[in-house]
Amino acid sequence: MMSQLQQEDRLNLAPKKFNMWIFIFTSFMFFAALTSGFIVYIGGTKAHTMGMKLPDIFLYSTAVMVLSSVTLFMASRAAKALQYGRQRLYLLLTILLGVAFFAIQVYAWLILLPGMGVYFSNPNATQSFVYVFIWMHLLHILAGLLLLGNTLWRCYRSIEQVRNLYSMQMSSIFWHFVDIIWIYLYVFLLLNQQ
Amino acid sequence: MGFKNLISSKKILSLLAVFMLLGTSMLFAQGTESAGATASPAADAVKDNGLATAGYYILLFLIVCFVIGIVGKILRVFDLTQQIQGKEPINWNNVMGICCLIFLIAGGYAAYWEFKVHGAMILPDAASEHGVKIDEMFWTTTVLTMIVFVITQILLFTFLFRYRYNAKRRGHFLPHNNTIEKVWTIAPAIVLTILVIFGFFTWQKITDNVDAKGEPASINIDITGHQFAWELRYPGKDARLGATNYKLVTGINKLGINFKDKYSYDDLQADTMVIPVRKSIRLNIHAQDVIHSVYMPHFRVQLNAVPGLPTFFKFKPTITTAEMRIKLNKPNFEYEILCNKICGGQHYNMKKIVRVVTEAEYQGWIAQQKPYLTDKVKKSLNFAAEKKEVQPNRLALNN
Amino acid sequence: MSTLSVQDHGVVHHEDDHGQHHHKATFLNTYVFSQDHKMIAKQFLITGITMAFIAMILSVLFRIQLAYPEKSFPLMETLLGRFAPGGRLDSNFYLALVTIHGTIMVFFVLTAGLSGTFANLLIPLQLGVRDMASPFMNMLSYWFFFLASVIMLSSFLVQKGPASGGWTIYPPLSALPKAMPGSGMGMTLWLISMVLFIASQLMAGINYVSTILNMRTKGMDLWKMPLSVWALFLTAILGVLSFPVLVAGVVLLIFDRSFGTSFYLSDIVLNGTQVQPYEGGSPILFQHLFWFLGHPEVYIVIMPAMGISSEVMSVNSRKPIFGYHAMVYSLIGITVLSFIVWGHHMFVTGMNPFLGGVFMITTLIIAVPSAVKTFNWLATLWRGNIRFTSAMLFAIGMVSFFISGGLTGIFLGNAALDINLHDTYFVVAHFHLVMGSAAIFGMLAGVYHWFPKMFGRMMDERLGYLHFWLTFIGAYLVFFPMHFMGLDGVPRRYYAFTEFESMKQWLSVNTFITWAAIMSAVAQVAFLFNFIHSIFWGKKAPQNPWHSNTLEWTTPVEHLHGNWPGEIPTVYRWPYDYSKPGAEEDFIPQTVPLSQTMSSNLPHDFEDNPTGLEEHTKWANTQKSNEEVK
Ligand code: HEM
Ligand SMILES: [Cu+2]
Ligand SMILES: [Cu+2]
Repeated sequence: MMSQLQQEDRLNLAPKKFNMWIFIFTSFMFFAALTSGFIVYIGGTKAHTMGMKLPDIFLYSTAVMVLSSVTLFMASRAAKALQYGRQRLYLLLTILLGVAFFAIQVYAWLILLPGMGVYFSNPNATQSFVYVFIWMHLLHILAGLLLLGNTLWRCYRSIEQVRNLYSMQMSSIFWHFVDIIWIYLYVFLLLNQQ
Repeated sequence: MGFKNLISSKKILSLLAVFMLLGTSMLFAQGTESAGATASPAADAVKDNGLATAGYYILLFLIVCFVIGIVGKILRVFDLTQQIQGKEPINWNNVMGICCLIFLIAGGYAAYWEFKVHGAMILPDAASEHGVKIDEMFWTTTVLTMIVFVITQILLFTFLFRYRYNAKRRGHFLPHNNTIEKVWTIAPAIVLTILVIFGFFTWQKITDNVDAKGEPASINIDITGHQFAWELRYPGKDARLGATNYKLVTGINKLGINFKDKYSYDDLQADTMVIPVRKSIRLNIHAQDVIHSVYMPHFRVQLNAVPGLPTFFKFKPTITTAEMRIKLNKPNFEYEILCNKICGGQHYNMKKIVRVVTEAEYQGWIAQQKPYLTDKVKKSLNFAAEKKEVQPNRLALNN
Repeated sequence: MSTLSVQDHGVVHHEDDHGQHHHKATFLNTYVFSQDHKMIAKQFLITGITMAFIAMILSVLFRIQLAYPEKSFPLMETLLGRFAPGGRLDSNFYLALVTIHGTIMVFFVLTAGLSGTFANLLIPLQLGVRDMASPFMNMLSYWFFFLASVIMLSSFLVQKGPASGGWTIYPPLSALPKAMPGSGMGMTLWLISMVLFIASQLMAGINYVSTILNMRTKGMDLWKMPLSVWALFLTAILGVLSFPVLVAGVVLLIFDRSFGTSFYLSDIVLNGTQVQPYEGGSPILFQHLFWFLGHPEVYIVIMPAMGISSEVMSVNSRKPIFGYHAMVYSLIGITVLSFIVWGHHMFVTGMNPFLGGVFMITTLIIAVPSAVKTFNWLATLWRGNIRFTSAMLFAIGMVSFFISGGLTGIFLGNAALDINLHDTYFVVAHFHLVMGSAAIFGMLAGVYHWFPKMFGRMMDERLGYLHFWLTFIGAYLVFFPMHFMGLDGVPRRYYAFTEFESMKQWLSVNTFITWAAIMSAVAQVAFLFNFIHSIFWGKKAPQNPWHSNTLEWTTPVEHLHGNWPGEIPTVYRWPYDYSKPGAEEDFIPQTVPLSQTMSSNLPHDFEDNPTGLEEHTKWANTQKSNEEVK
């Protein structure tokens, strides 16, 4: 009886996947609120402008992020085709790209932006917003990396396919979302710069 | 079964009582200790530290609990004996149904009493032009909502009484009725639409702050809130207020007036807000530290004072203080400004008197007010002005 | 079919990611770190009740100050020490009390305590589910909530006292530690606590939505769900979409407080001379972010109470809820509209007047679904067979309060009228009736009604009656006069009414209100005693004590992990077949197939089931011809 219960439990992963989708809505609302805050702030008076150009580095980080989504997609495909070797490889690649993105963002935040005279603690809150966007997004990246790492680890432990796929899907949903959020933030900032 | 309950719950009750008594006596001991420690220099003058009173109330509470417990037991015993004798036990459904009816009647009377007594203590009629419109809206809304209030509460409680449980009856199976549901969706919608339309136009008129052409210009008055007082600034003969900047605030220049602006030279200070009747007043509202709110209930004026976001409210007083005193038969009556946004410990005490006077009185009064540019300020400014480059005016930027 | 597919009712046991195949019942995992939704519901309830009592005591403290502003109570100094020097509350501490009272009541009691309890209890039980989508997350949600509660209360221990800027914590007051004592460490703790709290609510809400959409038992389509579940479902959606916005607001506030940014701050001079470096920020921005959550939040509070009351009133009037579909659509309407009305809290902030006009229109629209609900409740009672259980009384009280409080919303929603009413006692009266009273009564109705399900024992009905009448009358006595104070222009959050001549006439009323409040507070002891006593010594509950139709009453009285011992029952009908003509009893549980109740079926029951309808007409025709033969 007990083991049978467990068996059914394992197959019943759809609601948990659904949890992830709802979490994404939640997270989206969070970023929507931040960007709306930005708009309200900028709309407050004409004096409020960003007064800076986004450095090109964000273009590179965006490219890295998109690339990581592509590799993750490949990993999913490999997982579905039962090619575990390739799945691991692509997963690893995704994680590396994720870490690279992380590093680029941290570089931009710690070195590049202050070098441009753009500080977090700043009478012009639009520039502070840039930092807030980066940080809040990095938090999500961190969570995404943990998820991906977990998936990779499970992949090495060669658990059964159902759970492998489930784990793959969970991290994919989240990672692609984090990717899209970054693109959204980047485009948003591009549109508002100067 | 019932008896077993009886015993065990009584045990609980007495346990509770003992516990409470113990607690009280402990409190007593503690209280005397600390009172002894703190109040020793103040001599024995403060003997009664309220513990006796508290103990008295706790005792009272326990007695009430005890009585309730006893009544509960009596009811239960009564029920049991009725059952044993084959008679009907207490029908609580009937009792509650009747209670509902009593509540309806008593509550109805209480509500009537409230309206009559406390309803007579509310603000007098508006003392400003736009306030009259607000009052009209208010009374329309009150009549409409009170009709709904009375009808729905009566229905609610009479239904409860009328349809209380009866074992011989069954409820009426009525899952829905589209017609009636449509009616009571559309009816409130219509009423609310009417209210919204009136409200919307009234609101627009009140907030439409542009001086109309041909109308004499409003009197500009600056009011600035800070923890915990209001500061007033009247324009002088030029009828214009000078610019301000918060960065210029110092001990002597409390409002940060920019004295390089020539309009500021004759700006006047005032302790009381004196305004002429039937003249349009434009209050420019500022805050220095946290959000305050200028609230003048008699004029139906309220607007927040937000640091960094100057706002203004235009209104026209219609009743002088003297007239109002006669009208209300209160010889000491004064209009007041209150602070109506939580702003700190003394929030409850941010008062400014407003006095509405005739035009002649106003002119007489304003002639006596002192300018902000006192000799002291002039002196300190002469050598400060050379060093400090004055920042541009934020008020102008924000508008 | 819609995309909301009916997931087959897989047997969800507990989260099993690590492949532990055993599940030994220890004290720790049964009572403390339990993943069973029923236990989590009880944990939420008991924590919620505890917090409610604490917040109630706080309110009595500040009510005493309002009643006797000049009097000194040495006992207060003994109890509160530095917060009540000389036996009188410190005016800053008064504001701290008001703030923490509001925060606890709105968030910890009426959000977590109400939704947390009943969503956890009812969603799985009424939908035929063994446990939540993710029991682990569910457990985490409780413990985050618990931690948040502890932190919130611990702020009483810091030197300068808890947060005191009002439960809406508007900056700059809350952002500048020097603006008031409570804006220092106390505010920091408040913010930490709220972030944890929001995390807890998000985890919980995500679970509720997912469980409802994916795991319902066979036959339980959305239109067969009880209104309680509908309400909890929409509440969870509201929470999931609006709480993140508050997080955003709070994060920016934290940056302003601790990192010198200027999101909300501008042009500030403290203490008359200390010019602050902030520039360009907008305090109004915070208010927008706060009320974007804040308004949905008030519906997060009231909707579960509405759902519970609908359910309780239908069961105890022995009548189907009137206009089930209208009830659901009005809930949906409220949910959607509540996202676009937040500006009605900001009419007098100096916001663009045109925007104010728009918010006024949307606000008054939201009153329509509220009105529909009220009328439908009245129609439910009409020609019912009303059993006055304690739960029923509280549900009725909820309706009465909702009417009284909702009507004043129409005044406040009118921007022109709000000019003179904003932040006065009129607002206090409004939201205490509609939220403080109505929602609490909904919660109490739920506690009395589902107590047998939670604890397997019955509560004492007569103590319940006493509790109801004292509280009901007490709440009206407390809040009704406040309307008139508001109409006299008396501002809220005033420490004493002694400084203004015009307010002195209300001093005696304040004393009266305080005594009424103390009476209602004391009446809660009847509840507490009843509650605790009944948990241990109450009468053993039968399986279906209220003769109710919903699924939770088909589970055994003794709790077991997984809820139903055998297969999960299938659902064949809506939950409101009470007093159906032709039926043997005055209720037909949802698990009874239509084929077993031929005599009571109506054509209406077969709306989307043509074969069933055919059979029904056939059966009806044979009945008719049989009768004619006779
Ligand atoms: C009939 C529909 C309702 C309308 C039209 C309405 C309207 C309003 C308005 C316009 C205000 C702002 C008043 C002011 O600050 O000047 C307000 C305040 C408030 N309302 Fe309602 N309301 C309604 C129902 C509710 C419900 C159902 C609840 C909660 C269960 C609720 C809870 C509150 C609270 C807590 C506040 C005060 C917030 C604060 O400033 O601290 N309202 N309401
Ligand atoms: Cu103030
Ligand atoms: Cu609202």
